[in-house]
Amino acid sequence: MSVGIWEIVALVLLVITAIAVVRLQNAVHAALALIANFLVVAGVYVALEARFVAMIQIIVYAGAIVVLFLFVIMLLSAASASMGKDLFPRLPWVAGLGAVGLAGVLLLALSHFQPPASPPPLQGGLPQVLGPLLYDPQQWLYALLLVGFLLLVATVAAVVLIEPERIASQPGPEAPKDEPGVAER
Amino acid sequence: MQETIFLPLIIALPLLGFVVLGLFGKHFKEPVAGWLASSLVLGSFLLGLYLLFQGGARWTLLDWLPGIPFSFNLDNLSGVMLLVVTGVGFLIHVWAIGYMHGDPGYSRFFSYFNLFIAAMLVLVLGDSLPVVFIGWEGVGLASYLLIGFWYNQRVNADSARKAFIVNRIGDLGFLLAMGLLWKMFGTLSISELVQKVEAGGYNPAALTLAGLLLLIGAMGKSAQVPLMVWLPDAMAGPTPVSALIHAATMVTAGVYLLVRHAFMLHGDACLSGLIVVIGLITAIYGALASLGQWDIKRIVAYTTLSQLGFMFVAVGVGAYWVAIFHIVTHAFFKALMFMTSGSVIHALGGEQDVRQMGGMRKYLPSTHIHGVVATLASGGLIPLAGFWSKDAILAYSFAYGPLLWALMMIASVLAALYSVRWYVLVFWGDYRGKEHPHESPPVMLWPNHILMVGAAGAGFMGLPYVIDYQNFLNPFLTPAIGDFALEKLPVLTEWILIIVSAVVAAVTLWWGFGFYQQKAPPWLERFQVWALEGFYADALFNTILVNPARSLAGVLLDADRGILAGFTGLGSLVGGLGRLLASLQTGALRLYMVGLMIALVLLLGWGVLR
Amino acid sequence: MIWLFASALLFAIGTYGALTRRTAILVFLSVELMLNAAALALIGFAQLMGSLDAQVVVLFIIAIAAAEVAVGLGLIVAIFRRRETTSVDELRQLRG
Repeated sequence: MSVGIWEIVALVLLVITAIAVVRLQNAVHAALALIANFLVVAGVYVALEARFVAMIQIIVYAGAIVVLFLFVIMLLSAASASMGKDLFPRLPWVAGLGAVGLAGVLLLALSHFQPPASPPPLQGGLPQVLGPLLYDPQQWLYALLLVGFLLLVATVAAVVLIEPERIASQPGPEAPKDEPGVAER
Repeated sequence: MQETIFLPLIIALPLLGFVVLGLFGKHFKEPVAGWLASSLVLGSFLLGLYLLFQGGARWTLLDWLPGIPFSFNLDNLSGVMLLVVTGVGFLIHVWAIGYMHGDPGYSRFFSYFNLFIAAMLVLVLGDSLPVVFIGWEGVGLASYLLIGFWYNQRVNADSARKAFIVNRIGDLGFLLAMGLLWKMFGTLSISELVQKVEAGGYNPAALTLAGLLLLIGAMGKSAQVPLMVWLPDAMAGPTPVSALIHAATMVTAGVYLLVRHAFMLHGDACLSGLIVVIGLITAIYGALASLGQWDIKRIVAYTTLSQLGFMFVAVGVGAYWVAIFHIVTHAFFKALMFMTSGSVIHALGGEQDVRQMGGMRKYLPSTHIHGVVATLASGGLIPLAGFWSKDAILAYSFAYGPLLWALMMIASVLAALYSVRWYVLVFWGDYRGKEHPHESPPVMLWPNHILMVGAAGAGFMGLPYVIDYQNFLNPFLTPAIGDFALEKLPVLTEWILIIVSAVVAAVTLWWGFGFYQQKAPPWLERFQVWALEGFYADALFNTILVNPARSLAGVLLDADRGILAGFTGLGSLVGGLGRLLASLQTGALRLYMVGLMIALVLLLGWGVLR
Repeated sequence: MIWLFASALLFAIGTYGALTRRTAILVFLSVELMLNAAALALIGFAQLMGSLDAQVVVLFIIAIAAAEVAVGLGLIVAIFRRRETTSVDELRQLRG
């Protein structure tokens, strides 16, 4: 396993875009950084012989999902992340420490991994390779159907959730801003 | 002896009254319910009389329980009991129409009353012991319901419970006896048991044990010492209840049961001796306790105890037909005594304390005559009913042993004393109360008239052999009870006994009549304080039985509370823990995630470094 | 092998973001980053082990992420319409 120049570049890009996602104050910029990250990941997928997954990554993840994020960010005019007083000002330090610890533990765990000497070939991860697996009843067909059904349910749920009349007509309690529930004790 | 469906019909009539009055009692206007109930009992009486003239009857439902038929048997013994129960029962029903006038539970009363008659008939007519037991428990239930008839007063409900609980002891004896007999003979039908016992081939000790268990049952129902404590308290019920259940019929069920099982008892000197002793103690105890009572109904209740003791003695000495004879005469004169008392209570608007009575002969002339006859019959004045039956018991006691005769003579002297005491306190002297007395209505007087005739004349069915060689009752009952020919006393002895008994009774009555009109001497008052409490039998029972049981219950209650406290403690512990943990749930999403992350790091680290 | 390390780094960074971001949408964005890191690890393992099944699972991850985003964003929009905020610190009604 050799580490070439492109690997180093891709790794640096991945880390930079990821840090941008979590640090940029402007939500739109963060979402755009996420798209960049996903595109780099898609490139990595190609290098790792997963071309069909790479295409899906670009089309669905970078193309559809993150665009959905952008829509919602703009819809709610939440682009600027500045909001009220920070309740947990020391939390970023804890989070940073935790992230470092987590990364350390994960790297330690992965360093124990011994890959087999000669893995079977992946044939580039092309659609004609994955397709028979996906549509084989012995393999993933039912899981695929279930995921399709899940998507349908999620779509319906999203529609129901944001249907304006329903929200307006709901008599739901005017929840007080930060009042603790009184009834539960 | 014929198979006939009319036999269960006798029972069905009052049962119908119970159901109809119990379910639809509210729709009956006041006297209608009473007359309906009374006429149903009269119907039972007439039907029973008819069947008895036909020579008895049987009715059987095979395999009611596996191996146990549901059978009724009307022979001469159960026939006599049936006529007493329905005949006297009918009169008391009619009398109750007047006595219960205006009571809010009028229909309910007659419904229970009919239930009692039905259950008593099941008891009397039942041939297989489980059927008898149904009746046995049925009368117990009716007794419980009627003692606690005015249940909204605590003391009445307590008395009802007391009667029920004390009777449970006797019922246990009955049940065990049934189990033992089933084990021994494989049948519980009395008519078959008679044959099996005659055939022999069993362990005689086991039969004695079965007889003893039956005796315990009979003692509970017939209120014999030491299970007598419930009967005086049973007077909390309305007076007709006391007259019918706790004097004339139900309490004699124990005697009837023993007579029914005469075939088991007559060969057993040990068991018979025990019955004699119990009967004697009860006879004297009841008589003495009666002499100290001030409540008119408790006076009569203790006299009933005493007379039940007489019946037990009769059973014990082997004179079974005499026991039945005494049941019959006693039913008449004691019912008359109770209903006379009831008429007085009615006249005085519910007053029951004899110290608030007196002089009633001027106010209640008809009731006074009833009282005279009841007193003389109960006191044993020749030739009223009580004399003949009591004299027969005394004569057979003499044959059993002169000492028993002497003790029974004391008991009968006391019987004459308590009768006359009751009479004098109620009817003589000056009126000591305030309520204006009024004579009872005809509906209450006429039953007493009829009972008065019975109390006067019922003795002639069982005259001693020296007067009437073949009296009516003895040969009439013999086929049903069994032929246990008793040794007849010599003619001269018999005559002497009759004369002594008659003279003693007459003298005692006369002396008591004078004595109780004077002021009581101090020794008598001291005695009366004792007797008023029934010689502290209740206190004794409380000390040796009730209080230990109560202490045990208290300990168990404490233990229960302790366990319960443990559980509630556990509950509050869990609750406190829950509140503690709930405070971790701040609702702050990011703190949750910190927790998740720390846990993830720790778990992964543990997994990697392990 | 290097991509496994990369996925570990991405995952840690995503965790940091999920903890420090205070807007629900950006927390969500960070979670997507973590999810993507997991997918990257799977693809890395697939190449090392020569397993096509892992690639299929990544396809499912992407599909389920789509469903998750649809519902999650719907929730955020609904909450925003009621409360005029998407701050995870202010949405604290669900507590003991």
